[in-house]
Amino acid sequence: MEKKGRRSFLEITTAFIGGVLSLAAGIPLIGFAISPAFKKGESKWVDLGLADRLKNSRFKKVDYTFTAKDGWVKATKKRSVYVTDAGNGEWRVFSRICSHLGCLVRWDESKESFLCPCHGAIFDKTGAVVAGPPPEPLQKLETKVEAGILYVKET
Amino acid sequence: MGVRKDGRQEGWKAFLRERLPLESVDSHLRKPLPKHINLLFSLGSLAMFLLLLQAATGAFLAFYYSPSPEHAHNAVTYISEEVPFGAFVRGLHHWGASAMVIIVVLHLLRVVLYSSYKAPRELTWIFGVLLLLIVLGFGFTGYLLPWDEKAYWATVVGVEIASTAPGLGDFVAKVMRGGSEIGAVTLSRFYALHTIWLPWLAFGLVGVHLFFVRYYGSSGTPKNTPEEMKTGKPFYPHQVFEDLVGMLILFVILAAVALFVPVPLEDVADPTNADYDPRPEWYFLFLFQLLKYFQGPFEILGTFVIPTVGMLLLLFLPFIDRSERAVLWKRPIALTVTSVCVVGIVVLTILGGTSKKLETTDAAAQETSQPTEQIQTETVEEGEAVFDFQLTEEEIEGAKAVDELQ
Repeated sequence: MEKKGRRSFLEITTAFIGGVLSLAAGIPLIGFAISPAFKKGESKWVDLGLADRLKNSRFKKVDYTFTAKDGWVKATKKRSVYVTDAGNGEWRVFSRICSHLGCLVRWDESKESFLCPCHGAIFDKTGAVVAGPPPEPLQKLETKVEAGILYVKET
Repeated sequence: MGVRKDGRQEGWKAFLRERLPLESVDSHLRKPLPKHINLLFSLGSLAMFLLLLQAATGAFLAFYYSPSPEHAHNAVTYISEEVPFGAFVRGLHHWGASAMVIIVVLHLLRVVLYSSYKAPRELTWIFGVLLLLIVLGFGFTGYLLPWDEKAYWATVVGVEIASTAPGLGDFVAKVMRGGSEIGAVTLSRFYALHTIWLPWLAFGLVGVHLFFVRYYGSSGTPKNTPEEMKTGKPFYPHQVFEDLVGMLILFVILAAVALFVPVPLEDVADPTNADYDPRPEWYFLFLFQLLKYFQGPFEILGTFVIPTVGMLLLLFLPFIDRSERAVLWKRPIALTVTSVCVVGIVVLTILGGTSKKLETTDAAAQETSQPTEQIQTETVEEGEAVFDFQLTEEEIEGAKAVDELQ
């Protein structure tokens, strides 16, 4: 009886120590691996250029760069957007990232639509989904004009 | 072989025999197989051979590879163009990955054909399906590493697919990327997964899978009577010889392909290149095509529900198919389901592979009268005008100063 009690004590203690060791090593390791998911990105205003030069009733494909931290690298990030102005000081700047699975859309002038080369999504000139799989419209970027310069909000 | 004064035998064989259970290993290797087996039973050994070949070629490729966006593409170009045998070693690794997918799927179909997953071999099957997932994981993490256009865009789409999973999808995608977008952290993560995590997992699972194969013995074909299950040829040397001949033929084919078919390497990844039509590796084309058919709120069916349910059904197949063990054509339901799945995947793969590239017309490309005084640049990428009007810091400061004066 005494032997059995001792054995079960050893079994429980072994399991306990094993559990403590696993948790003590496992929690920091898992936290280490998944920590980037909890990092909040900083939003910043990035200039696209002088607003006068970007004025166009049709969509212009505009590339721009900005610096941001990518892990341990201070990287130059490249972005591409479609820009047009509605004529009354209102700007429409659409991200080219398809809201379906992230491919870059292209503006087709004859169809007056944004087309995605991956899964056949079509968006109209307001960014709304016309056809294809995307559940959401194209992302419209926040804009401001300061000192005659057009800025977009990079998040 | 002499005998020592203390009565023990001399020689290295005797030395080992005294210290290791060699007789037991020998009798295990010579254990007879079932009477009715055929060449299809070498597919598992071929998959094992390819795993070792991938491990060996990958370990050597790592001598020259650098997992950073600045260096990865150059490193792969260097391997392919300057390192002696580099193109060959990379070719073996690249085409070996495709061969691995083919052989593993054929191995799985052989098991379905002879219903070898039935009791008591359910666990062997489950570990085999997990290994199939590991093989696909190797493919997915591997093709980001060259950091070319295909690598980048296929990974963008792949990770976005994960992000559509309900609840934790976005979190999982961020963990995979190591942040909100694909970059240096993603590449280093995928490299670690591809070269450390997945190989350890793969060899661990292969160990368990092989243990079950030896423990329960080969399933043979359903034709075997209970007596015939242990009256076939021995595993060694007969089956091992057949397996080795298969490996030799496979290696010759792979070597020929590696020598004569260059491994593609596209331009370095460019997150703004919208003129690129992303397409995944051929073994993910069926999924690429499937995603086109589910629109709006039904998107999740293609990205999450069908792949997850399909994989779970495959994983637990032995517990779903409770019919008597028989060859596939004597099991009408299993035959129908297998045929529909195989034909469906093949048709979707063909449709995905032959889908037309997108062509767009862009009026801006025809514009010739851009302001002549503009200091910004305009380039034309395959028919579409790209504008870069960004200002320098001095120009921004100048514009602000003028604005304040006004």
